[in-house]
Amino acid sequence: MVRALVSSQTERRPRLRVVRVGGVAFRVDASVLAMTGLALAALLALSAWALTLGSYRLPLAAVIAALSGSGSDEAQFIVLDLRLPRILAAVLIGPMLAMSGAIFQGLVRNPLVSPDVIGVNAGAAFVAVFWITTRHSPAALPLVAFAGAVVAASIVYLLSWRGHIAGPRLILVGIGVNAALSAATSFMVVRAEINDASRAVLWMTGSVYASTWNDVRTLALALAVLGPVGIALMWSLRVIQAGDLVARSVGMPLERVRLSLILVGCGLSAVAVSVAGPIGFVALMVPHLARMLAGPMCGSVFAFTGVLGALLLLGADMVGQHALPVGLPVGVVTAAVGAPYFLYLLYRVNARL
Amino acid sequence: MVASAHGARRAGRGLLLTRSATLALCAVALGVVALASLRIGSIGITTADAVDALVRYAPESYEQTVVRTLRLPRTLIGLGVGAALAVAGAALQGMTRNPLADPSILGVNSGAAFGVVTAVYLGELTHPLQFVWFAFAGGLIAAMLVYGIASAGPGGATPVKLALAGVVVSSLLSSWLTALLLLDQQTLDVVRFWLAGSLAGRDLSVFLVALPFLLLGLAGMLLLSHQINILSLGEETARSLGMHTGRVRALVTLLVVLLAGASVAVAGPIGFVGLAVPHIVRVVTGPDYRWVLAYCLVVGPLLLLSADIAGRVVARPSEVQVGIVTAMVGAPFLIALARRRRVAEL
Amino acid sequence: MARLLADTVTLAYGRDRVVVDGLSLEIPDKAVTAIIGPNGCGKSTLLRALARLLAPQRGCVVLDGEAIHRLPTREVARRLSLLPQQASAPEAITVEDLVRRGRYPHQSFFQPPSRRDQVAVERALELAGMTELRDVPVDELSGGQRQRAWIAMTLAQETPLLLLDEPTTYLDIAHQQEVLALIRWLNREEGRTVVLVVHDVNHAAQVSDCVVAMRGGQVVAQGPPDRVLSPELLERVFEVPCEVVVPSASGSPVCMPRGRALPPGNSAPAGRAALRAERLSSGYSRRPVLRDVTVSLPAGRVTAIVGPNACGKSTLLRTLARLLKPEAGIVFLDERPVWESSHREFARRLALLAQGATVPEGLLVEELVAIGRYPYQRWYRQWSERDQQAVERAMVATGVIDLRWRAVETLSGGQRQRAWLAMALAQETPVLLLDEPTTFLDIAHQVEVLDLVWELSRSEGRTVVVVLHDLNQACRYADELVVMKDGRVVAAGPPAEVVDQELVRDVFGVDSTVIPDPATGRPLVLPGRALEFELASERLGEAEPRGRAWRGA
Repeated sequence: MVRALVSSQTERRPRLRVVRVGGVAFRVDASVLAMTGLALAALLALSAWALTLGSYRLPLAAVIAALSGSGSDEAQFIVLDLRLPRILAAVLIGPMLAMSGAIFQGLVRNPLVSPDVIGVNAGAAFVAVFWITTRHSPAALPLVAFAGAVVAASIVYLLSWRGHIAGPRLILVGIGVNAALSAATSFMVVRAEINDASRAVLWMTGSVYASTWNDVRTLALALAVLGPVGIALMWSLRVIQAGDLVARSVGMPLERVRLSLILVGCGLSAVAVSVAGPIGFVALMVPHLARMLAGPMCGSVFAFTGVLGALLLLGADMVGQHALPVGLPVGVVTAAVGAPYFLYLLYRVNARL
Repeated sequence: MVASAHGARRAGRGLLLTRSATLALCAVALGVVALASLRIGSIGITTADAVDALVRYAPESYEQTVVRTLRLPRTLIGLGVGAALAVAGAALQGMTRNPLADPSILGVNSGAAFGVVTAVYLGELTHPLQFVWFAFAGGLIAAMLVYGIASAGPGGATPVKLALAGVVVSSLLSSWLTALLLLDQQTLDVVRFWLAGSLAGRDLSVFLVALPFLLLGLAGMLLLSHQINILSLGEETARSLGMHTGRVRALVTLLVVLLAGASVAVAGPIGFVGLAVPHIVRVVTGPDYRWVLAYCLVVGPLLLLSADIAGRVVARPSEVQVGIVTAMVGAPFLIALARRRRVAEL
Repeated sequence: MARLLADTVTLAYGRDRVVVDGLSLEIPDKAVTAIIGPNGCGKSTLLRALARLLAPQRGCVVLDGEAIHRLPTREVARRLSLLPQQASAPEAITVEDLVRRGRYPHQSFFQPPSRRDQVAVERALELAGMTELRDVPVDELSGGQRQRAWIAMTLAQETPLLLLDEPTTYLDIAHQQEVLALIRWLNREEGRTVVLVVHDVNHAAQVSDCVVAMRGGQVVAQGPPDRVLSPELLERVFEVPCEVVVPSASGSPVCMPRGRALPPGNSAPAGRAALRAERLSSGYSRRPVLRDVTVSLPAGRVTAIVGPNACGKSTLLRTLARLLKPEAGIVFLDERPVWESSHREFARRLALLAQGATVPEGLLVEELVAIGRYPYQRWYRQWSERDQQAVERAMVATGVIDLRWRAVETLSGGQRQRAWLAMALAQETPVLLLDEPTTFLDIAHQVEVLDLVWELSRSEGRTVVVVLHDLNQACRYADELVVMKDGRVVAAGPPAEVVDQELVRDVFGVDSTVIPDPATGRPLVLPGRALEFELASERLGEAEPRGRAWRGA
């Protein structure tokens, strides 16, 4: 059943180039690289535009001045302390979610899978809602959410382990653990005071509204470490997709690679969720988008997935913040903006599914 | 050859007997649970009172009034909704050949929820009886949207396209729903109990409105069970056996919408029953959908009512919504199942 | 006019991939028609169109004088049934349940299964020899048994026309012969019209009254087998020289494609063992397959493992390749226990081409072949000049170089098999284990693959161990033969010393004539035809208990 979106042409001719720096050598598709570059440029432009937007409008020149440290104090404050952290958070969280989605979809060979399956979101939400409804200090919220995500993921992993990890079993166990955790979460929401319930629902929607430089530093660190590892592991993931037997017969330590992929995927989404709450849709859909545009998943397409994720999340946050009469959290907008486009693609592209 | 065929037929009859006996056993268990559902709650009620309330209703008795106005609707709704969700889930799993399919994958649950929330937000409704039609319309529209998008393009509505479109439409609708809830705390307050999925506090009138749809859906699905059997062999084989696969698929989808839409309208989105019950049932029945559906008809309400009773007991004097309990009870089941069975490729 | 015919049909997938172009074909009534042709010639596509599964872009398929697409589907399914090539059954479905579902076109909406349905199911099970396995889940059967379960489902449909897509794939000789006998019987005794697509020309010769040879979406020749199956025509169709032997004993011609390499009659003496297994017992959880197997596979030679279905050939191969941990015994690679080396190091010395691997969507042929380079790569050095060269060489050797930018899932079965073989070759290992590399291939490609295997062992000194289901090919190409049955090795040695009539009967349960191959002098096994009528009469004699049941391990 896993025959995800493949573009209609039977012949795709990648323009493969070998990038070699000393002992390091990668083979990349030049057209994917070009697309990634284009997307990066778009991202840069969008970020610059986002810096100018807001209730206090700043011209681009003032923004640049503020960034270089020569703007007015007011502009400096608005750009550096208010807008930049939020934009950077969106730009960092998008890739993390999208990449972790790509990893899990490839790993269990099912296009409907996102990091949720391993319990990351449900675990984080459970702990966070507990934290909120018992009125603990909000400062520690990201930390406990991260812990919740990691614990839930470990539970799913351990419960699925029977000598080896099988994709289908992982999904079923994940669904079970998710269901139990979300039931417990909604129990707490129902039981809570309406104000706490409201805050809990807000957290569960996911937003980058109150991101601080601290958050940005955490996110940047996680992405800088895990992103490249993910790109490097993509090569192995492609082999795994050809089947467990093939992977083992070409000498892959399968369980070890699988565990590292799960660790990377889980780490990426857990950090993102702990900072911003469970932002839906990005992890599920961006990998599909990337594949429809750039071909099957490999290191370069994985990087492209990341950039697309950043674009989508930043765009969604801008729409939620500026385009609507009331500010909406980004988690709502990602789906509202991304889903129609995805449906259009599903409708238009001769997807052979 | 004669002897071996005889033996096999005898074995077949034995299997038939075991399955029928197990089914009967489940039915008896369902009866017991239904009775317990009438009796157990914040006030205890004797069996005699419960039976009297049904056959010789004496309005002056407080116990009997409780049974008549609170417990009976609740039990009936549990029976109807449990059966509907389980049967719809099983049919969908057979049709899409995807073990993860359940009514929510067609977008029915989120469509219905969105319909209700929109209605509450715009029309300032407060009574569940008013919810029904909006839930129904929302579910139907969402499912039509999913099916329409999935069946566009060559190849028609293949299982994966259907599931993918369903997931996307669901996430789209639930994001809009969340947006509405965030905008308006009052709406959240009205619908948050309904959204958690519950059998309690529902009017019998709501159930009666939905009942014809439930019955129609259940009867139709049972009649189609053989067709679902053939569909589960795969598109190609089903077609070469002379089936109009497109027509049957559309019909099954319509019935799923009827069942799921009606049950969401009555009880709110109750997850997990549609997903887990078919898996649990298949351990006994194997992949023959005539049996799977018949079992679902009994085991679905059995699980739902048991969960509902458990919800009344654990958190006395208040109670836990049944949607929460089904998930808590069903989840370990599913996990154990996943661990025990040799899971085939999805 | 024939009941089933194709009138200038053009068949295409998508808008521009035309597979069959303006083809007209009349299927003779009450006869067995075999469609042969190289991989990708459109024979399966044609069969799907004949079964109404594919609408022609132009022209039409006519059934009983009416365009088949105007007939109700159920009506078509009552007259015509199709055995698909790779059908997947729902999980845990039993054989009987599957067969029962074949009665669908005869059942109306409200009517419960009738006595007639029951009789038809019993009969179908009996004919396909699945009566004893009726309560076994299909996914627990071996490949051959599974194939027979699907055949039984097709038979339960009880149609006068039967279309079979490669019914003999996955089967060993005995089961192939039984299926062929069954086809004969259905035609002779019940007057059914049978159309089958086969890739083994000899099966076509044995069973058919009419052979249709296709090439490039066109019919090249149609006629009785002894006329169509001439060396000239076969060469034109398959582009490989063939010898046609007409043994006096059985009467039907036997075709042997002749490859570039023609191994000498006497196999070279075996030297030291490259791969050696000592007292190996192995299997899957709770199901032992290999019992106390000791074999020695000589270095630089081609060793073929043969045996009936489910005899443990693939299990042996997997245990040798250390994909399966043995319960007892040791495997030595170059006199070192295999479990001592690291994964990567081992994969540089031994490659396995497994059977029935899944293909990830959208993967290009070149990318698949590049997977074989995995053991030489590091996460920081994912590509090198040597990788590039090895991939190119492997693709040239297997002839997939022109297909390098095609997605693997768009290839025909034969092309796909060669792409997988290229992947194993790119691994550049001194030892190569191949699990049925010739399945799905037409004779030209089979010969090509075996030639390649032979050359690899001779020119590069590689050790090749290959599981083959065609005994004659094994005899022709292997230096050493390992014959297995029920998880044990029954015989091993050069083909000429091992293969004779008794062995074939004992191991495969088939009566045969073994003659020296006129080209090489190695043994050539001609499966006996005498079996067929004996079998048919045995099936008809209802009063007697069945003498011989098909029983899989």
